[in-house]
Amino acid sequence: MEGKIIVVTSGKGGVGKTTATSSIGAALALEGNRVAIVDMDIGLRNLDVVMGLENRIVFNIVDVVEGRCKVEQAAIRDRRIENLFLIPASQSDNKDVLTTAGVERIAKQLRSKFDFIIMDSPAGIERGFENSVVSADEALVVCTPDVSAVRDADRVIGLLYARSLNPKLIVNRIEPARVVRGEMLSHQDVLEVLSIDLVGLVPMDEKVLISSNTGTPLVLQNDSKAGVAFRQIARRLNGEEDLPIEMPVYKTSMWHKLSKTFGLKQ
Amino acid sequence: MLSGLFKRFTTKKNSRDDAKKRLQFSLIYDKLEVNDTTLTDLQQDIVDVISKYFEIDKDSLELKVKRDDNVSALVFNTPILHVKRKKV
Repeated sequence: MEGKIIVVTSGKGGVGKTTATSSIGAALALEGNRVAIVDMDIGLRNLDVVMGLENRIVFNIVDVVEGRCKVEQAAIRDRRIENLFLIPASQSDNKDVLTTAGVERIAKQLRSKFDFIIMDSPAGIERGFENSVVSADEALVVCTPDVSAVRDADRVIGLLYARSLNPKLIVNRIEPARVVRGEMLSHQDVLEVLSIDLVGLVPMDEKVLISSNTGTPLVLQNDSKAGVAFRQIARRLNGEEDLPIEMPVYKTSMWHKLSKTFGLKQ
Repeated sequence: MLSGLFKRFTTKKNSRDDAKKRLQFSLIYDKLEVNDTTLTDLQQDIVDVISKYFEIDKDSLELKVKRDDNVSALVFNTPILHVKRKKV
């Protein structure tokens, strides 16, 4: 088995990178793959609480790199989704304990044990970012439709190109109603500005916060718009490259249609 | 209610377009800024070419990236001291 390492980055923090990583990882496992999600944010671990696995941590990624345990010992098995594992970040260590050489060493082992390894990169473009991308085969960039996130995404895309990675974009937290009102960049705007391939569009969804409150996988909730979007992204990564990308739509009201007819709105 | 309706007729303020335009410029500018040596090299090349025809004040010239509402442009400013005569 030769697994694929996918790094999830964004540049700017708080755009939904952790949600994207955990949801895509879970969805890939639901598709029948053996998946390891790796939290690369040393000192600020988050994936464990989002995934509801915080009480079961024994070893972490730093322990694996430093040889204190095997990959299998650090990988926490998710009890709700078969073949889904989390390798948590360490919470106490200095973030400099992880080096690119160390990551490259365990990348080999990870590839031999899993079909997909999803690395959650920390925000920023410093050491943690370097560690996350050093062994990556593919890269995903998460971005929200606001000026700061798009600008940081552009910077990260440049850095990924420089490492011969051809990143794909996820536009997160789209609010179609606000796009229609001219208050928010559309995904077309974002794509035009960044000129990069798209892998998925994720609408704003209140269920994301609720599922992280309880530590339950978003992709198991069929009534979650974001969960459905992440499952489709996972299918595209799993070989269904031609699966059409659904546009989040704004359900137009009667009033809206009327005002459109009379030229009050664009 | 009525003033709201009136507003709809008159104002066409669209922050989405602003965001897009500002981003397009800042990304271009970011990239130009990164390559400071490129700008210096370019300046030298321009000076060399102009010096073939004019005598210019090399101390007070400037090369800038200018951003307007719709275009971003390279602006080169230089005082011309003399026109060089063509040698026969």
